[in-house]
Amino acid sequence: MKTNLTNRFWNLCAADFLSPKDLVRHAVLIVLAFGVAHAFGLREYTSFLNGTTGSMELGYELSALLGLIYLLLYFATVLLVPILILAALLATLWLKYYQRNAP
Amino acid sequence: MTQGRRIGISLMALLIATALWLPLVHLFFSKPATSFFQATAVSPKARELAARHLQLWTDPPLRARELQRMRASNAEWDFMGRSFLVWSLANMALRDPATKSGNLETMDRIIEETIRLEQQEGITFFLMSYAKTNSYLVQPARSLFIDGEIALMLAARRMVEEKPEYKELLAQRVNVIADGLQRSPHMLLESYPNECWMFDHCIALCAIRLADHLDRTDHSRLISDWIAMAKQKLVHPESGLLTACFTAKGQPLDGPEGSTLWMVAHCLQILDEDFARDQYQRTRKELGETLLGFGYAHEWPSSWRGPADVDSGPIIPVLNISAGSSGLAFIGASSFGDEAYLKTLSTTLDFSAFPKRKAGALKYCASNQVGDAALLYAATLGPLWEKVKVKGLQ
Repeated sequence: MKTNLTNRFWNLCAADFLSPKDLVRHAVLIVLAFGVAHAFGLREYTSFLNGTTGSMELGYELSALLGLIYLLLYFATVLLVPILILAALLATLWLKYYQRNAP
Repeated sequence: MTQGRRIGISLMALLIATALWLPLVHLFFSKPATSFFQATAVSPKARELAARHLQLWTDPPLRARELQRMRASNAEWDFMGRSFLVWSLANMALRDPATKSGNLETMDRIIEETIRLEQQEGITFFLMSYAKTNSYLVQPARSLFIDGEIALMLAARRMVEEKPEYKELLAQRVNVIADGLQRSPHMLLESYPNECWMFDHCIALCAIRLADHLDRTDHSRLISDWIAMAKQKLVHPESGLLTACFTAKGQPLDGPEGSTLWMVAHCLQILDEDFARDQYQRTRKELGETLLGFGYAHEWPSSWRGPADVDSGPIIPVLNISAGSSGLAFIGASSFGDEAYLKTLSTTLDFSAFPKRKAGALKYCASNQVGDAALLYAATLGPLWEKVKVKGLQ
């Protein structure tokens, strides 16, 4: 079981550019990065959007940077990850169909 | 299969996936408009927002941290956060008598501290720093922004339950405002040196309207004269929308600004209901938008291009989404029963304002205390206005 998971993990890492596996790999990485940002409480720093600093100690610029990182990862997770997974599924089906019907 | 063909298939799959997914995103954040605003009860979201604000007023270190963060950007927000909260608590107490006692206690604490700070620190304590760099035209200096909102806080409190000590305080503010408007050759009063705001005038007139209801005084002529003047001199011709900011002589300093107009339309409901509806419909048409199920608002109509100010909030380019205008659009949509737009605004709020819930309290991380207070007001408005509404003052 562990060997199988490890093999699958390395297969994912070795995926070709824009292959279905590559799309899934990017989706996983985005979700992991977002999870880390969320766990570290970067959500609080999104107040820069209304001109309020997230932390007086860190200052406006650094707070805004942290808020921006969270913002980008959040939108990537909500918008891009489903697109990547859906695209991976479509591309997989498309490629299988192409290979089945190739002369 | 060649790599080129495989990449082409993946790119096409990405395009199709995008076209499929984007129109569906809003469904994961969409709730009925009644989850935000209910005409005859206090909505679940209003209770959660109120809980957070009540927490701030019972936890001094927490409040101090929030205020410090806000005042670093804009001292006005400290003041307006108080105003919106007091007005909200008044509406909630009128809708839900079980909350009256607790709400009155908090309202009194806010009002008394606000007046004390004004007296102790001067009017500029709640104003942006440029209030100190020039002299007010009318002396002694007064800010209609401060006078009007304090007056409306006092009036709102008394509408819930009479408090004799506030009767004289309200009368003093109303007299200062009414006398000032009558003495001014242009019926305009400064909020900042030679800077007058539509927002502040409308709130001040609402305070006078409520005071008339409470104390059986009659300023209806003053109110109708002011509205007539505004219709004639303070309207942006291309859009028909009221101008946000002008000099003491009525010369425009700005155009019609979303972060002003939504609240102005709401205020006009008890000053001139027909004009209120006209302004809301125009504002909705010129500034309100919905895209893929998400509602938002612009700061300026297409016929005006002006610089954003601190009230506008950040403007997201391409779509020209204004955080300030979009937030205040809730007040307009709730006021005029625009459930469809309110629902889409609420969807955007839950999607992009990062709600955070803890122990029954709700705050939006992308907002701040005054933004959340304005949302609370939008979620609770109605009862104060219903008590005094008139139709089309002559």
